[in-house]
Parts: sequence; structure tokens; C-alpha cells
Amino acid sequence: MIEIKNLSFTYSPKTPFTTQALFDINLRIETGDFFGIIGSTGAGKSTLVSHFNGLTKIQKHSGAVIVDDIDLSVKKIDLKKLRAKVGMVFQYPEHQLFADTVLKDVMFGPKNLGLSNAEAEKRARDAIALVGLDCAEIAERSPFELSGGQKRRVALAGVIAMHPEILVLDEPTAGLDPKGKREIMDLILRVKSDCPTVVMISHNMDEIAEYCNKIAVLKHGRVMGVFSPRELFGSEDLLESCGVELPLVTELAVKLNALGIAVDKSVLTENELFEEIKKAAGAKNA
Amino acid sequence: MSFLEFKNVEYSYVGGDDELVSALKDISLTVERGEFVALVGCNGSGKSTLARLCNGLIAPDGGEVLVDGKPTTDKSALFDIRKKIGIVFQNPDNQMVTTIVEDDVAFGPENLGLKPDEIRARVDWALKSVGMSEHAKSGPFRLSGGQKQRVAIAGVLAIKPELMILDEATGMLDPNGRREVLEVVKKLNRDENMAVIMITHFMEEAAAADRIIVLNKGSIAADGGKELFNTPEVFEDAGLDLPLYVRLARRLNDIGMDVGCPLTADEFAAAVAAIATEGGKR
Repeated sequence: MIEIKNLSFTYSPKTPFTTQALFDINLRIETGDFFGIIGSTGAGKSTLVSHFNGLTKIQKHSGAVIVDDIDLSVKKIDLKKLRAKVGMVFQYPEHQLFADTVLKDVMFGPKNLGLSNAEAEKRARDAIALVGLDCAEIAERSPFELSGGQKRRVALAGVIAMHPEILVLDEPTAGLDPKGKREIMDLILRVKSDCPTVVMISHNMDEIAEYCNKIAVLKHGRVMGVFSPRELFGSEDLLESCGVELPLVTELAVKLNALGIAVDKSVLTENELFEEIKKAAGAKNA
Repeated sequence: MSFLEFKNVEYSYVGGDDELVSALKDISLTVERGEFVALVGCNGSGKSTLARLCNGLIAPDGGEVLVDGKPTTDKSALFDIRKKIGIVFQNPDNQMVTTIVEDDVAFGPENLGLKPDEIRARVDWALKSVGMSEHAKSGPFRLSGGQKQRVAIAGVLAIKPELMILDEATGMLDPNGRREVLEVVKKLNRDENMAVIMITHFMEEAAAADRIIVLNKGSIAADGGKELFNTPEVFEDAGLDLPLYVRLARRLNDIGMDVGCPLTADEFAAAVAAIATEGGKR
């Protein structure tokens, strides 16, 4: 569980460049959540999640973040314990690959946890298999000769091999083609069975609508609210006031309604919309 | 003479196992002034390689790339070619050269040797076009990913190229940012007759273009208008999705609700509405 209490953050305080990025954030991310964080660029999403593994230090008198039993507002945080618990996958994680073989790259995290070579290797091999890559074929290859989608999966394996309890993903599918996007989302669902809590920043409203059970909307460094996907995407007023773009399915449902086709506007997936159209048009046909 | 012409272009690079990997095979195409082209294809299909060939960042191994009739391998023509064709890349962090946003945007026009007041005017206009005027004095590294990308686009805009290539340049933007950039690009295309090649995975974005070129494993699989959506195999074979409304239309057609082949979301909605009312009258 991650509890965020009255968290504020200012970049370069007391300089001419000072910018406040977060204002009095209060959020509760429960174990088992697939927690979405959305908001336009510059809303403070990445700044917020970078607190979760202690990468960004909480400033004086600026609130608290508590991850399970670890209080991150104290001076001396047990970073090792925290980072074993919270796995962080940044934007374009493949840019952070560095080792000369895939196996070594994925082993880096577990070894830093203090695991033996043998244990780290076992975890690495399991993680590589979990992300859908053929370990025998790929382990000794350089990560730099892989395709973009494969690289990203290797980078994810490096975090998964640390067996986090909370996985934080910053735009995990950005830049991938549609097939690559689906592969990554499928893999995150697979990981979620072992790593119960997933926090995901995304600009892809279709993914947010389909996968998340709770969605926090950030705007100019403030939380506009936390909603279920149907609550949020089913309410045009809410979407408008939060400045959230419609998922493509919702957009189409709204267009249909405007022409008098009464499909449910809170549909979240292509299948749901298909069934709704069948029902709406079919009902009139009958 | 076409503005941009690829004549039987081949390009390969040395892959990981010291083997020659063919990235582009026998590419021939032309792009005219004022065109709005979407270039689609899955990761690794050769899209970015094609973009880099356009303004001579890389030279073809076979065939020719001509800009206003001048080959990109002609070193004396390169400065002129790069003035005409600007590329915005995916990762803005690799495209920033200075510590102040407006200096960064001024970098291009300064290198064109323009007068200071003209540079000033272009920088202001470019930043305004991408909605970043209020950040003119900020440090680019203090901006968010999407904001940086808009600055990078402004930097290319300020050169006033005749062709702007966006290499998945909206990939890091939020939906609003993406739409804003798309609007800016459409406006420049319309008002200034600036040609655009937009490389994208977002099929809804591609559907906004006049012409769609599909790349599959280094070859051109299709080149045409939105009527290409009538042949969905082309996109599926290339590992791409169709726009949502095209997917839904196909599924509805499959179950006997004939909505035809709508080319826009509005056409789709109208087709569904037509079926529903027709049924109601029956």
C-alpha cells in the first residue's frame, strides 16, 4: 500500500527557477490496485511517482509518503528495503540497458539486492521467460541488437527479477507499435499475479480504461479526483472538468448518441461498444 | 520535377552478428510540395531509416534520393536540402542544444544567417504555434517530456522548412498535446503549403492524412488515400491496427449489419444511424 499525505514538491526552491510541481497531494493506493495516473504533460505525474522509491526526496514540511511500513518522510530511509519492494520502470526503459549481455543486464538488479550469483541468475532467467522471451536464445546476446519491443521487455525483466511487490510504470507502452503495446500490457497482467500492486502512468486512455480499477487525475500538480473507469469515462462533465481526453471507444459512443443511437457512453472496450451497437441497432431492427 | 523523389533506394546496415541487414528495399516514391503524408509501419519496418534518407542524414546504398532534383549525396547541396526538409525526432532530449528554450529555437534560424529581428519574429511565432510562449525563458531540461517535444518542433518550425518530417514526434505527448501538434502541423500544411510526412503508430492520426504509405519489412506495401482502409489485409500484414471505427465496421458487416466501409468516425456513426432508423421504419 502507498499512502500519500499532503505531499508537495518544488523544483529548485529559493532560486529564480523555482517551480512548484505538486500541491498538497493526498492519495491511497491499496494492495491489489491497478492504479492509473493520468494528466497532461507537466501535470506532475512523473514527479509524484519518483517519490515512491525514494528517488525524489520529500522536502521539509511537504507532507509524507508511506509505502507499507516504510515512512519516506524521515531522514534515513532504508533505501535497499524500499527498492526491493517498489520496482520502477521509467519512460523508455530500454535507454537504460547497459550490460553486454541480456542475462547480465537483468541480473544487475537482483545482485544489487545482495543475492548470490546463482540466485540472481535464476531470478533473471525466470523474469526473461515471464516477459515472453526465449532465455536460451537471448541470454548471451547483446541487448543492443534486439528490436525496440524486445529491448523494452528486457528492461522490464530487470525490474521484475527484483520481485517487487509494487510495480510503478511510467508510460510503459509509449513509442511501441500496436502489437508491441498489446504484448507489454499482457505481460503486465501476467506480472500482476505475483506483484499485486501496479501503478501506471499513461496517456493512452484506451489502456487506462481497459486495465485500471482506479484512476487518479492530476492537473497542474493537483489531484482532481480518484475515480473508477466507468465513473470517469462515463461522465462527460467529469472528463471536461478534469481536462481528460476521451478514449476512442467513448468518443465513438458519444458520436453515436449524438445521432440518436442510444449506446452506453461508459463503455470501456471495443468489445463492449460492439455489443452495445449490436443491441442498439438490433433492438430497433427487431 | 518532384519536390522529393526516391528512385529505387536501397539501404542496409551491419547488424549485431556482423551480417548485413537490409532496412529498405527498392523504394521508389515521390512527395510533392503541400502534401500531407502519413508513413506507417510497425517497429523495425524501416520508417525512421526512410526519414533520415530524405535530408541526407544517411546516404542510400543504392538508388538516389533527390530534393528539387538535387541528390542528397551532393555535399554542396546539403545545406540547402536541410533548409528545405526538417526532421523532428522521437526523443526530445537528444534534440536540445542550449540552456534556454528560446535560444534553442533560435539555433536553426541563426544558422541560416537571418537578421536578428527576423530571428526574433520566427522564434516568437514558432513558440506560439506550439503553445510554449510562456516557457520561452525556461531551461529546456526543466520541462516535461511533452513540453520539450513541442520546443523541438518549434526549433524545426523556425527554419520554415518546405517539408517537415515528424518521426513519431507525438509519441511522448499526451492526447491533448498530440492533437495540438497535429492541428499546428495541419494548419502549416494548409496555410503555408508546408508538406508533412508524419511517421506514426496511431492509425487515427494516420487517418487524418491525405495519403498513407504503409511500410512492411523495408518495402512499400501500399501507397494511397483513405480508401486503403477498404483493404485491411494491407495493414494487418504490416502488423498494424486499423482505426477503431474500421475494426467495428468490419465486425458489424460480418454479422450482417451492413455499414459498408466508412473512412472516418463520423461516416461510421452515420452508417450505424442509417441502419438503426431503417430498422425502426420497418
